[in-house]
Amino acid sequence: MASETAGTPLWRDIVVRFGFLIVFALFVVFFAAWNPVFVQGQNLMNIIEGSAILMIIALGMTLIVATGGIDLSVGIALDFGAAFAIVAMKSFGIHWFGAACIGIAGGALVGLLNAALVVGLRISPFLATLGTFFIGSSVQRIFTNGGGPISYRQMPDEFRSLALGDVFGVPSEVIIALVLAAIYFFVLERSVWGRRIHAMGMQRSAAVVAGIKVNRILFLCFVMASATCAFGGLIAAANIRMFTPLSGFAYLLDAIAAVFIGAALHPRGRPNIPGTVAGVLFLGVVTNGLNLMGLNFNTKDALSGIILVAALALAVAQRNMRKS
Amino acid sequence: MLSRSIARHRLMAELVGFLPLIIFLALLTYVGLNAPNFMTLFNLKLVLMQSLPVVLLVTGLSAVVMAGGDDVVSGGIDLSIPATAVLCAGITAVLLASGLSLFVASLAALAAALAAGAVNAVLITRLRMTPLLTTLAMFVALVGINNMVTSRRRINLTDGHIGLLREDFVFGIPLGIVIVALVVLVAYHLLHRTRWGLNLQAAGGSRDAAEISGLKVDRLVAQSYLLAAFMGFLTGFFVLARGNGYSPGVENNLMLEMVLANFLGAAFSPRRVVTMWGAVLGAVLVAAISIGLKTIGVNVFWTDLVKGALILVVVALSAISQRVQ
Repeated sequence: MASETAGTPLWRDIVVRFGFLIVFALFVVFFAAWNPVFVQGQNLMNIIEGSAILMIIALGMTLIVATGGIDLSVGIALDFGAAFAIVAMKSFGIHWFGAACIGIAGGALVGLLNAALVVGLRISPFLATLGTFFIGSSVQRIFTNGGGPISYRQMPDEFRSLALGDVFGVPSEVIIALVLAAIYFFVLERSVWGRRIHAMGMQRSAAVVAGIKVNRILFLCFVMASATCAFGGLIAAANIRMFTPLSGFAYLLDAIAAVFIGAALHPRGRPNIPGTVAGVLFLGVVTNGLNLMGLNFNTKDALSGIILVAALALAVAQRNMRKS
Repeated sequence: MLSRSIARHRLMAELVGFLPLIIFLALLTYVGLNAPNFMTLFNLKLVLMQSLPVVLLVTGLSAVVMAGGDDVVSGGIDLSIPATAVLCAGITAVLLASGLSLFVASLAALAAALAAGAVNAVLITRLRMTPLLTTLAMFVALVGINNMVTSRRRINLTDGHIGLLREDFVFGIPLGIVIVALVVLVAYHLLHRTRWGLNLQAAGGSRDAAEISGLKVDRLVAQSYLLAAFMGFLTGFFVLARGNGYSPGVENNLMLEMVLANFLGAAFSPRRVVTMWGAVLGAVLVAAISIGLKTIGVNVFWTDLVKGALILVVVALSAISQRVQ
């Protein structure tokens, strides 16, 4: 690496290595200058807490993108996780822990359908998960008679503490996100299984020749990703004490963006967990900072969209410069 | 003996190949039998009117897919066209409401559309960003800008001209249908009958081969995104005409219907590739199914499920038929 960049000017070297991080830092400085509250400890914790659900969804998305696919149904898995858990507790009086497990299993159903379509019928992940998205949204509308929320005010405190509890002052949703991130890091970046996933994502035919059981890996990845997204649903349900149909859709684009920002930060341009975490935090910082600027809701919306495009372009430009 | 088994094999493959279309026609026949009013000329007009925005969108999208190749993730795709359309509708509505003329409002909308197309083109051909990701992000950005422009309000149409797209008739055919038919014919000529169109398809067919034979692939790809943005601009007027003004939130539905129509079209085509006629047929059939389900009294909540299942069945069949071949 050092010999490759020996002849290039220093500034280029800096931009290539730290370009995105520099811009990230500039954003932080800018927001802090605008409103000093931004860098207070409580607000920084708010940013992390507010990013927990997106973090969880983005982990699942990273796994799928690493296999070379994409998952448009992550939001459905989140919704199903919330719905199954709430209904299990409210209508069947199941113990909160059992209900949480049922929620995760409900999310995994979405992954099973995706896996059956992608592995069994060999439909491309984009179209398969788009179909799942349509079907999943419709199922929610039918079940809730058009999209009305299912509220559950007398939720057990233990379940509620999935969102509102804390361990030594760290909010429990952050702990859930961190534990899941650690598991994903180990699976995707440190295990043989993860190496196979990356091999398959980068060159599938080569992976097949090398004897990697591509279909089995794909199947497990889709189920694991959806089950993970269901954790996000549990937190959302615990937080607002209800299931809001179709609320998962809001996370889709941010999750995709975080994964691709993360991939662009990687030396070899592949999706990776630390990069995804950085992408999620960047999006969290922008959302929070724009909120603190006290902008009009619509202006904020437009700005965050433009920043999203610019951030992706910057991350990719940085990767291109690194390659050349 | 061998040749006979090959012939039988090919017959099978062809039969499976036609299944998507057969399923669609069966569904429509079922609707027709259960709702006698469905198969009337009046309803046919309704279906066509309903499909107009999506027809324009898929015409633009199919140009992009032709130029970029039909791999959904790495090939050409432009998910931002519906957002461009809605942004154009929003800009036009706001400027008309503020008292400017339709001409000025259209120019502003056109400038916005072309700017969006140019940003797509630069990000995809210069920075080599994945089209799916780029245009998805652009979708979000454009919807955000549009929300700022319109403040998420409903804006009623003050200009009579746009309403003519819906209300005026030429030889008994609604003006909107005539205009869209003309646009589609021009686009067909451009994409399938001119040197430029053939170059565009060559670029998408095999990028390397096209480059070796001296085509400027990046320029062709960039042009396809500009063309798509222009189709988005045109769609804006039909969005306004259909809703008799601008209403927030139409973009999500447009995007899903555009993608659905585009890939249904590919499943209808004999070689399973995205073609303009296939996409247009897809758009009309999607509208027919939506209206058809409504006429036989299927609960609205079920329509997405039917559409999702249709995508899966049709795409799975086309995957199977490819394997059989």
